[in-house]
Amino acid sequence: MSEMDQKPTELEALFAAARAPALPPDLSARILADAAAEQPRLPPCEPRRLRPHRLRQVFGLLGGWPGLGGLVAASAAGVWIGVAPPGFLPDPMLMVSQAEQSMNLLDVHDMASILSEEQ
Amino acid sequence: MTLDDTALLVLYANGDRRAAQELTARLSPRAYSVALRVLGNRADAEDVTQEAMLRLWRIAPDWETGRAQVSTWLYRVVLNLCLDRKRRGSSVAIQDVPEPVDPAPTAPEQLQQAARVDALQVALMQLPDRQRQAVVLRHIEELSNPDIAAIMGISVEAVESLTARGKRALAAALAGRKAELGYSDV
Repeated sequence: MSEMDQKPTELEALFAAARAPALPPDLSARILADAAAEQPRLPPCEPRRLRPHRLRQVFGLLGGWPGLGGLVAASAAGVWIGVAPPGFLPDPMLMVSQAEQSMNLLDVHDMASILSEEQ
Repeated sequence: MTLDDTALLVLYANGDRRAAQELTARLSPRAYSVALRVLGNRADAEDVTQEAMLRLWRIAPDWETGRAQVSTWLYRVVLNLCLDRKRRGSSVAIQDVPEPVDPAPTAPEQLQQAARVDALQVALMQLPDRQRQAVVLRHIEELSNPDIAAIMGISVEAVESLTARGKRALAAALAGRKAELGYSDV
């Protein structure tokens, strides 16, 4: 290291005086205008298409609200016909009650006659 | 928290306008200072600074973090642009352009300070291009020798040699003007 580097000299003072010159007043504005012009533009956001929920898929398969309305009406009509059928149809409740039959599962009478014959 | 230049450049590339303002405030004075002292011409220094910053904005989306410091890259671009200008031929030397008008009354000390800076600039312009670049980066921008080596694409030893020879040449060039500049010893 030379003597010139070891102690501050007038040359060092000259260097210090030459540091950080004043920036021309409009230079920053021009640089920022360039920055704005060159700044990458992000693509506009598009609403993301979400995969429909499974229930919504079924809803769509049924035909939406019209299809679902028809299905509900048909189901209600079926229940009503079952509860209060029109005259020309057999009453399902009556059919159930008449279907009761007695059944001798052990056939007790036949066994008793056999026993009496043996005596 | 203060973000480094690379983080600001990434923010700029992602559309943050404040990042551009911060980068301009940090980097453009340094780019202008180097361009002014290397070219010796204010108008050319302004053009070089604007062009270097424009190149920074354009490279921002493709900037590879960890490749180089933003300031190192910018100094390199400034020096290359200065060399291009020198090859094409400079229009007006700095000593031919009046200092910007200061609205405050000019004190004798300020006048002498301006005369000293002008004398230094004249002496700098007498140096070979590479010596002048190295001296400006080392003694005016106060960069480290490894940083200057990275900017100029040379070894640290070459930087030391250039700055030492440049400084000796400056001292010799200014020696005859020490009385005029108000120094007893330069």
